[in-house]
Amino acid sequence: MILLLTASCNDWLDVQPDATVSEKDLFNTEEGFYEALNGIYTRCAQPDLYGGEFTVGFPEVMAQNYSNSIYDYTRYTKTSIFDFTDPDFKSRKDNAWKAAYSSITNCNLILKNIDNKKNIFNTGIYEIVKGEALALRAYIHFDILRFFAYSYATGKTQSAIPYVNTYSNKVTPLSTVDETITKILADLNEAKTLLVKTDPIVLPTYVVGYPNDEDATEDANSNLFLQNRRHRLNYYAVCGALARVYLYKEDYSNALSNALEVINANKFPWTDPSALLEPDTKLKDRIMYNELIFGWYAQSQKTLLLNRFGSTETGQYIGYDPARSLYEVASVGAEDYRFKAWFTQVTNQEGPCYEIQKYMREDKDAENLHYLMMPGLRLSEMYYIAAESSYPTNSAKAWDFLNTVRFHRGIGTPLNQNSATDFISELLKEYAKETYAEGQIFYNYKRLNKNITSQTNVIYPASPAIYIVPLPDAEIEFSNR
Amino acid sequence: MKENDYKKQLFANNCFHILKIMRIILFLIFLSTSTVFPNVFSQNNIFSFNFSNNTVKSILLEIENESDYAFLFADDLTKEMDQKVSTTVESSTINYVLDMVFRSTNLSYQIIDRQILITRKSKNTTLSSGLPSNTQQRTTIRGKIMDNKGEPLPGATVYIKAKPTLGVTTDLNGEFTFQVPDLNQLLVISFIGMETQIVNLKPNVLFYNVKLNIISTELTEIVATGYFQRKKDNFTGTTLTVSGEELKKINPGNIFQSIEAFDPSFKITTNNLLGSNPNSLPNINIRGVASVPTGGSGEVLRRDNLSATVNMPTYILDGYEVGVEKIFDLDLNRVASITLLKDAAATAIYGSRASNGVLVITTIEPEEGKLRVGYNFELNLNVPDLSSYKVLNASQKLEYERLAGLYDYIGASSQNELDELYYQKMYNVVSGVDTYWLSQPVENAYGFKHSLYLDGGSQNIRYGINLQYQSAPGVMRGSGRDRYGIGAELSYNLSKKILFKNVLSVTKVDATESPYGSFSDYVRMNPYYPMTDEKGNLIRKIDSWTDRSGTGGSLNTEVVLNPLYNGTLSSFNKSNYLEVNDAFSAEWNITDQLRVRGLISLNQKKSENDNFLSPLSNDYYFYSSADLAKRGRYFYQSTTESTVDGNITMTYSKGIHDHFINMALGTNIRENTYNSKWLTAIGFTNDRFSNIGFANGYQENTAPGSSSNIERLFGSFFSLNYSFKNKYLLDLSLRADGSSKFGTDNKVATFWAAGIGWNMHNEDFAKSWEAISMLKLKANTGLTGSVSFLPYMSNTLYDYYKTSWYSTGVGAIVNQYGNESLKWQRTRNYDIGLDLGLLKDRLYFTGRYYYKLTKDMLTDITLPPSTGFSYYKENLGDMKNVGYEIGTKLNVFKNKDWSVMLNGNFIHNSNKLVKISNSLKELNNKADEAQTNDDYKGVPLLRYNEGQSLNTIYAIRSLGIDPENGKEIFIKKDGTLTNKWDVKDIVPICDATPTLEGYFGGSVYYKGFMINCSLYTRFGGYEYNQTLVDRVENADPRYNVDERVLNDRWKQPGDVALYKDIADLGTTYVSDRFIEKDNTLEIRSIYLSYDFGKDILEKLHMRNLRTAITLNNLWRSSSIAIERGIDYPFARSFTLSFQANF
Repeated sequence: MILLLTASCNDWLDVQPDATVSEKDLFNTEEGFYEALNGIYTRCAQPDLYGGEFTVGFPEVMAQNYSNSIYDYTRYTKTSIFDFTDPDFKSRKDNAWKAAYSSITNCNLILKNIDNKKNIFNTGIYEIVKGEALALRAYIHFDILRFFAYSYATGKTQSAIPYVNTYSNKVTPLSTVDETITKILADLNEAKTLLVKTDPIVLPTYVVGYPNDEDATEDANSNLFLQNRRHRLNYYAVCGALARVYLYKEDYSNALSNALEVINANKFPWTDPSALLEPDTKLKDRIMYNELIFGWYAQSQKTLLLNRFGSTETGQYIGYDPARSLYEVASVGAEDYRFKAWFTQVTNQEGPCYEIQKYMREDKDAENLHYLMMPGLRLSEMYYIAAESSYPTNSAKAWDFLNTVRFHRGIGTPLNQNSATDFISELLKEYAKETYAEGQIFYNYKRLNKNITSQTNVIYPASPAIYIVPLPDAEIEFSNR
Repeated sequence: MKENDYKKQLFANNCFHILKIMRIILFLIFLSTSTVFPNVFSQNNIFSFNFSNNTVKSILLEIENESDYAFLFADDLTKEMDQKVSTTVESSTINYVLDMVFRSTNLSYQIIDRQILITRKSKNTTLSSGLPSNTQQRTTIRGKIMDNKGEPLPGATVYIKAKPTLGVTTDLNGEFTFQVPDLNQLLVISFIGMETQIVNLKPNVLFYNVKLNIISTELTEIVATGYFQRKKDNFTGTTLTVSGEELKKINPGNIFQSIEAFDPSFKITTNNLLGSNPNSLPNINIRGVASVPTGGSGEVLRRDNLSATVNMPTYILDGYEVGVEKIFDLDLNRVASITLLKDAAATAIYGSRASNGVLVITTIEPEEGKLRVGYNFELNLNVPDLSSYKVLNASQKLEYERLAGLYDYIGASSQNELDELYYQKMYNVVSGVDTYWLSQPVENAYGFKHSLYLDGGSQNIRYGINLQYQSAPGVMRGSGRDRYGIGAELSYNLSKKILFKNVLSVTKVDATESPYGSFSDYVRMNPYYPMTDEKGNLIRKIDSWTDRSGTGGSLNTEVVLNPLYNGTLSSFNKSNYLEVNDAFSAEWNITDQLRVRGLISLNQKKSENDNFLSPLSNDYYFYSSADLAKRGRYFYQSTTESTVDGNITMTYSKGIHDHFINMALGTNIRENTYNSKWLTAIGFTNDRFSNIGFANGYQENTAPGSSSNIERLFGSFFSLNYSFKNKYLLDLSLRADGSSKFGTDNKVATFWAAGIGWNMHNEDFAKSWEAISMLKLKANTGLTGSVSFLPYMSNTLYDYYKTSWYSTGVGAIVNQYGNESLKWQRTRNYDIGLDLGLLKDRLYFTGRYYYKLTKDMLTDITLPPSTGFSYYKENLGDMKNVGYEIGTKLNVFKNKDWSVMLNGNFIHNSNKLVKISNSLKELNNKADEAQTNDDYKGVPLLRYNEGQSLNTIYAIRSLGIDPENGKEIFIKKDGTLTNKWDVKDIVPICDATPTLEGYFGGSVYYKGFMINCSLYTRFGGYEYNQTLVDRVENADPRYNVDERVLNDRWKQPGDVALYKDIADLGTTYVSDRFIEKDNTLEIRSIYLSYDFGKDILEKLHMRNLRTAITLNNLWRSSSIAIERGIDYPFARSFTLSFQANF
């Protein structure tokens, strides 16, 4: 009798909290899936991931893009000399790892629940949610791979990172670089197939533009969840990510076809130089917003970014000579719009230098031309990928792709040297200029196994010592792999 | 109404028919059934009426009708009865009324209980006159057996002395019906633990009320388990029952300290930080700590912070579960008794809530009878105890500063400036400034308490009303706790079979924290600082120190502010709660053996916290003018907690010859809802506007917060208690519990206990024993659980990003891995015990040994972060608690006027981590890291290692101070010596657990005077002397320090000193040099009382009057000199009380 009574009370004992929401309750509605997906983007836009470390943080520091004050207020000096035992670096990269996998876990929770709940979705939503969750999982894994593991070129069979694709408290074994990439590509390709069917961005009616642009239709959809597709991993973003991953894998034909799919869609207009050079700071386009295929909406990181770049005394900045040499101001870069728009000369305790204004905001968010975004994938990168992928087969075409971007940035001199080394060198220069403080150039050095030269001309030879960041101690200690 | 009809009929028939036949007067016991309070009579039988020319009979009939008196008279009084009288009485007793009525007749009366026997004045009608000519072969007699408090004794044996085989046992109401062969017999009435009584049957008495006297307190205790009651004598569980009266003799203001004195295994964790703060709730554990902290991120803990909240016992008040605060604020005058259930056999009926022990509290129930009034007054004086603080005086302090090198040129200021500073201070010293800062924020605090209790009623309806008010100010100025309470209890007994009872109580508590801040701020103030300027105004900025400790060696100025200044502002930190509780119960006595009882209790508690920090407070002294509008802070929190607790219990008890069975079957359901909301506002214009409405806005980067949860519990239990010939005892309990706190896979668990006992003194062979009057052996084992953890741990939970939305909507993110297979933490208990009474129980001794193994301890398991989580909850880890308890009581001397008693209760509990999880091991690494930072540099942190105890002190071994250079010599892990402190050399040094701790004392009684004394001692353990580290070695010479700095630190080569070089301002880290033996003796309580004699009471129309003085925490001596009461000092307390019952 006792057992009977208690058994019948099982439902009553199943209490759901109300200040937080349980997995079971959240995934009972379509809105719950929206919230879970938005949650991942919000999580990723935090300072320990794409709102900071993975964009403006350590890859940029390690690519030697910043100057360091002797007081080292930012605690990045040790990172810039590749001291991976530095406690500040360790805690930062450990937190990034933790944040990345926490986001991946959230993707896995969506994917665990979505197929059973297929019938609660309005038409087309299921594909978007599932496609984005798969794409996010792959996108985040790819950045962990690029940061912590061997590059494909130098160690594709080396064991790399765990590719976590189930929700569990069980430890996932490490995959090799090659295996990881295969899994990333599988997820991205599945996402691509899902998104192509229903992503509004594919429709001709979806017009990219600034938020206050009358022609733009990015916030026209009555469902908030389907607005601003470029703030989430849309169909083209998945194509772009595929191009990036295929290039990493040295699969040039797939890289090219995916890059071209984005380029040929003609969805993303080149930024008008006048927007970059606009003297009225309220009308200034600081990040070439319309060229973003995908970016993280990072409005809440405004203060942190201001702290990081707002003062050359205590924050991150770039020295006078390094900046000018990066943008080749003395030669072809004299009129580079990017240099003009992103850097302001000031003087700090170490002399003249440049304040980085790429992420600068007006006080009131509404007064800005665009949202505060952390760039994820750019149109220009598609041209670079297309260029690099087509170089072995059609070098003239490759130079064309590169020159197109240069032309849109105010570099009128076309390039067409014949040496492959020159091509890569010029390509990397462009990458470095274009993605400054966006966290991409470091991975391109790593992918191509290039030496890294510091601003004081110290050469860090390409080697695991600078390219392989150790996994977090906790990961090794508690995994018993 | 039926009852009334019956009575009238009885009146008529008895008077005019039966009595005619019997021709004698019978004493019959009438049921008094007055259910309405008549207009002519007041309920307490004070009469007012006016009769003119009525017959005596009609007057008596009227009295009988309207009161619970019944009249008996012989039929030959008819003539007198018809006599007519006139009389008027006002507010008079029955005696006066009858005197008036019978004044002109020749009738007289005799009141026996509720029966009034009427006889002729001249006639010699004695009780024994006129034996009845008994025609019946057998006579049915009835009766009720009670203990000396009037509580019925079910299961008491009643038999004919001449024919022991002929006997009956009493039912649940202590009543019996017995067919005796004739009335010329002696009736033997016996009950375990009571003095056997022999009653001479009287021919004319058919109902016997017998009260049995207790042989010895220990023996006759009833164990109230919260669901049902057991006689302690045939119960095999380990329990302790103490009456409220006895508790009051230890400490009238603190029920927990009183319980601890009776059973030290009920242990209050000493909180050296919070001292005697009247608002700090105690942390309690019974028989050791059975859970380890789990706290999410797994914070590093100081040893003295090991939270006992997860080890808190379950509190059951009058049958339903309550929180510790309810007991903390309970008026001790309301407590009838407390029962502590300690081992599995006693607690298993609480199943999942049993592991940490159960404290059952019963409150005083109204007694039937006339209105009684009880009033209790207490005057309480708290005196701060600063005796543990030994700080330097002004001249010593300045000398220490000089020796510490504060005025030696090191580059901050020129030597001239330093000299100037020194002589300015010297000027203060010489001119007599020697402020004793410690006494500034404290005061002698007077509090008082009034408790009023009214009760009374008939057998059918009983009522009780209680009111209390208590102010309990603390010794820190402005702190205190005021308690208000009102309660009403009504019980209605329907035809003896069914009883309804309702208890409503309302409690309000206002708690205030001192605006003076932390006591430690005063301890560190330099004595050469004056408090006020020449005009008598408080100086706010007293001093400033400049050195080169700033970033990159830049100048750094540290300003010394007067902590007293905060106390003059309108800052406050107040909290209050209002709690309403209603408990309704119904009891149905289906048969004499079978009873069903149901209880439902509803409880709602609303609390608020208002914490205002004035914009003028010292905290804002350094705010720049740009932040002017951010000064001042108001924190507001509102919490509502509701609980529904219900249970139904069926009990059956039956004695058949030598077998006696008690059974209980019950079920219990409980739901607790907790909801809290809070916000912080900042920006107040000035000190006067302390209302939250004056705030400028929310605190930056904060949002209103909330927390809410629901806990549900459902359980059923069965309990069996069997005794054979009162010699062999058996207890079995089983409980199945379901809780919302646990994983979907394990919602329900079963718990059980089994116990056996042997009352050897009841054996035949024991009759020849002369010295041994009692010997009882018992043993039990069982499995109990514990769920004192946060709910929802088994759910995968999502949190919302409330403040930062994504451009496409609000986001939710998982924050906790829900382990659906989470199980109950279970404790395996073994307990063996011995009770021994010697020399007719003049010496009484109990001994217990227990072994508790907590399995499946709920701990955090650290995960590799690639799982997406840092940890999750798992059942892993075992902990063992082994201990013994010794209690002894000696009646040294006893006669009519004198009695002398001695007692002692001691315990030892040792704790061992048998198996621990990886996250606890991970905590050791965190502890190592934390050990080197400023907050914990000198604090021995809690570490977890298998085979060690939670009480183990971890430190580096040290050889002491090298007399050559004043530096400390450490022993590394490998045994080599070094001067360099390294966290890796930390090893377990010793177990802080005392060999024995407990209470002893005694009481002397002489003609109404009583003195009771209770002392506490512990010895054989160790303690880490934090004062030596924080206030001697790591002392900041710019502030006041312990006097040992000046006296015992190394000063020059050759000094054999306990503490390092006085000029060494470097950091001292944790080392075994500071571990000292902890042997402590304290006078916890001295109680003196006087009970006024009968003659005085009669004059005052009182039932009793007692006056008492209690002295608490009077004196203390310890082998370890440590500062006690860091944030709030300890206090000695004196209570004067008067207790009067009318």
